[in-house]
Amino acid sequence: MTAGIPEENTLGVVVAGAARAVTRRAKLLGRGGNRPMLGASHLALGADIFVVLRAVYGLAWFVALWDRYPVPAAAASAWGVLAVVIVGAIVLSRVGGDRMSHAVFALVVAGLAATVVLDLIAVWELHDLGRTLTAATAAGSALLLLVTRRGHVELLTAAGALGLTLAVALFLNTPPGTPFDADNLAPGLAMLAFAVLPTVIGVLIVRGFRRMVQLELDRVLVQSNVSAPRYAVGMLASEELARLDLAAEQLLDSIASEQTPLPLPPKTASLAASLATELRLHLIEGRRETWLYHAVSESEMLGRSVTLIDKSALAGLLDANQRDGLLSAAWMLVSDTRKKAAPHRSITLQLGPLAPAGAPREDRKIIVPITITSTGIRRNRVDPSIWAALGRVGRYSDSTEDGSLRVDIEAAVDNPAEV
Amino acid sequence: MDLLARERDRMLQRAARAYGLGFTLVSGLCYVLPGALVDAWALPAGLALYAVLAGAQFMLGISRNPGWVLLTLLAGLGIVAVATGFGQHSLGVGGMTSVQLLVSGSLAAVAVVLTGTAWRLVSFVLAFAGLTAASIWLTSSSQAPLRTGGLLLLGWCLAAGIGAWVSAGMPLVARRIASIGRAHRVERQSSELEAQRRQSARLLHDTVLATLTLLAHSGVGVTPEALREQAAEDARLLRQLRLGSTPTPQSSGSYRLGSGGDAEPVLGRTLESVKNRFGRIGLTVNWHGTGQVLLPSEVLDAFLMALAECLENVRRHSGVTEAHVTITEDDTMVRAMVTDAGVGFELSDIDEASLGFAESVVARLRDVGGNARLFSVPGAGTTVVLEVPR
Repeated sequence: MTAGIPEENTLGVVVAGAARAVTRRAKLLGRGGNRPMLGASHLALGADIFVVLRAVYGLAWFVALWDRYPVPAAAASAWGVLAVVIVGAIVLSRVGGDRMSHAVFALVVAGLAATVVLDLIAVWELHDLGRTLTAATAAGSALLLLVTRRGHVELLTAAGALGLTLAVALFLNTPPGTPFDADNLAPGLAMLAFAVLPTVIGVLIVRGFRRMVQLELDRVLVQSNVSAPRYAVGMLASEELARLDLAAEQLLDSIASEQTPLPLPPKTASLAASLATELRLHLIEGRRETWLYHAVSESEMLGRSVTLIDKSALAGLLDANQRDGLLSAAWMLVSDTRKKAAPHRSITLQLGPLAPAGAPREDRKIIVPITITSTGIRRNRVDPSIWAALGRVGRYSDSTEDGSLRVDIEAAVDNPAEV
Repeated sequence: MDLLARERDRMLQRAARAYGLGFTLVSGLCYVLPGALVDAWALPAGLALYAVLAGAQFMLGISRNPGWVLLTLLAGLGIVAVATGFGQHSLGVGGMTSVQLLVSGSLAAVAVVLTGTAWRLVSFVLAFAGLTAASIWLTSSSQAPLRTGGLLLLGWCLAAGIGAWVSAGMPLVARRIASIGRAHRVERQSSELEAQRRQSARLLHDTVLATLTLLAHSGVGVTPEALREQAAEDARLLRQLRLGSTPTPQSSGSYRLGSGGDAEPVLGRTLESVKNRFGRIGLTVNWHGTGQVLLPSEVLDAFLMALAECLENVRRHSGVTEAHVTITEDDTMVRAMVTDAGVGFELSDIDEASLGFAESVVARLRDVGGNARLFSVPGAGTTVVLEVPR
């Protein structure tokens, strides 16, 4: 069953098999910038506003310093180039959509480089780059214009190159014999920080935002399982069945049209056998999975770290509210994580086995025991809202097992034999 | 929205951490440059406070405890106090740069998380006012208060603006995600329906499976013409299924798919087509008993499929070319007895599943409330009894 696996999961994230075709480097460079993101235009607008305000601030300094410039024409043209780049980038991005082409990106970077060089020429003679560079530092923040449209590594590389250039210029520009002290060096350091840090922080914010949106999307998509019937075929089953039907159709067609000789060659015969087996499995087994199985297998987040043991498909008996609670709790347990602190955080959800029936209950319900065992989740690190979610599933008690959280839940569900 | 709000806070906390630590680093570098400080003891004391500040800012990225915000601000103020000798000294350009980077950059980072709710806004105003007052007082002899205060205001407004802007984008994103979720739910339902449509095309799949099984044995024992005809017929039906119509053809090969239109089709006609189908591939089926039985369509599907599966087993395993099917009925059940005089087998020797029996026959019949039983003795043939409710 390999031919039918889609190349992307529900989030548009390229899955393992297909990803191998893309080189690691290409992925690294393009990461973050190659897909449109929800809320990207909002963040981009914020970045544009920031860049413009930053430019206005720099421009004010430029005007204030006008009398001191040895080469005022260079400083003025630096600002001219920067203004063209900023306006051009904003207009192009409003017109051009989510992704900026390589050519435009190159043009923007070249414009910013020209700005830096012109500004350096303008104030070189003053030997006080830290306090006199204006357009060059504003050019650093201008990289934020691209923050939602280009790969993060590209932007960080550009910011790093800018920082390095300015640092080298700072070093070369310092006259020999200048004392090594704070009064001479600190303004230069601050200038470097203002040139580079905005891009770094901007990239981090956009990356965090993207991650948040993806997580939420994943959660919402998985959430749609809550309203599924007791047994469901899942999103991929239909596609898989369609694929098998198509393969069978093609095989039968090729036999009917005498393209394939009879009796069949062994290879084709074994293809027919495996098709029949898979088809049979899909027709008969397809509906035996519960919503919870599909939720776990479809989700990026849950699929990585949740193991489900539910031999009797008891999860299907939970009502919508209980399902929502269980799913939220599982979600919060595995998502509420610092990767470095708990790299192996995982949980196991076990439903059943049903206890032998005691006295029949008045309310025609049976108790489904649910056990959540975990690794790498400390009891006192658990977010309080998890308890509220578990409370919706049923009566629960929590304990610690091997230094990690364990929860036993008794979920009362309608007895399927009585309904 | 609750979970989304948590994620948003987490993201803003991380942003505040990166923001704060970046400026703390640069400010710290300026702090240790020679000539930045007046008092010698201010260097170790200040460095210790920088360590506390960095630790608090790191925790700010993880924990929601407002204590870390407070600790960040206190450590920052402590540094300013130490650097200026509690307002005694006048700092030079270097020292003042360090202090300014600290209060307008590093400490302002907390403003990123102090947005969104009324309480956070109140804390923001208090923190900003307190810090500004203290900074202006401590640095009054180093720099004009207006400049200190102006840069502070700029830095804090910028950080708060970032937090507010990101938060302001959340409702829109939440709405979009919710609508994607709704679309996905609809898609899931239709995918479920589509899968059910395909799965419920059971008769079709049964004949396809039977043909595939024949092919898996390289089509041995069947004339190529018959097999080609059957394959063409099955491919045609699969194409119809693929193109969106649930095929309700009159027959698949000679296998009657008559359950489509009538609610209670006549069993006799369809039994005849099963007989013809097996006749073509080399098994003579002798018919006994009732010729006319009315059954609900899904029961008929299961019954016919089980019958065909049994006959296929006879054809493949028994070693004879003749089978007898006897149909009987009473008030509640319809029974078919499939017998052959073939080699038979020891029941305990044969794993039922290896015949596809449990899976395809028993499971299918039980789905519609029926059952199947198997009797066999080596050398004395095999009998299968199938029963379904009327």
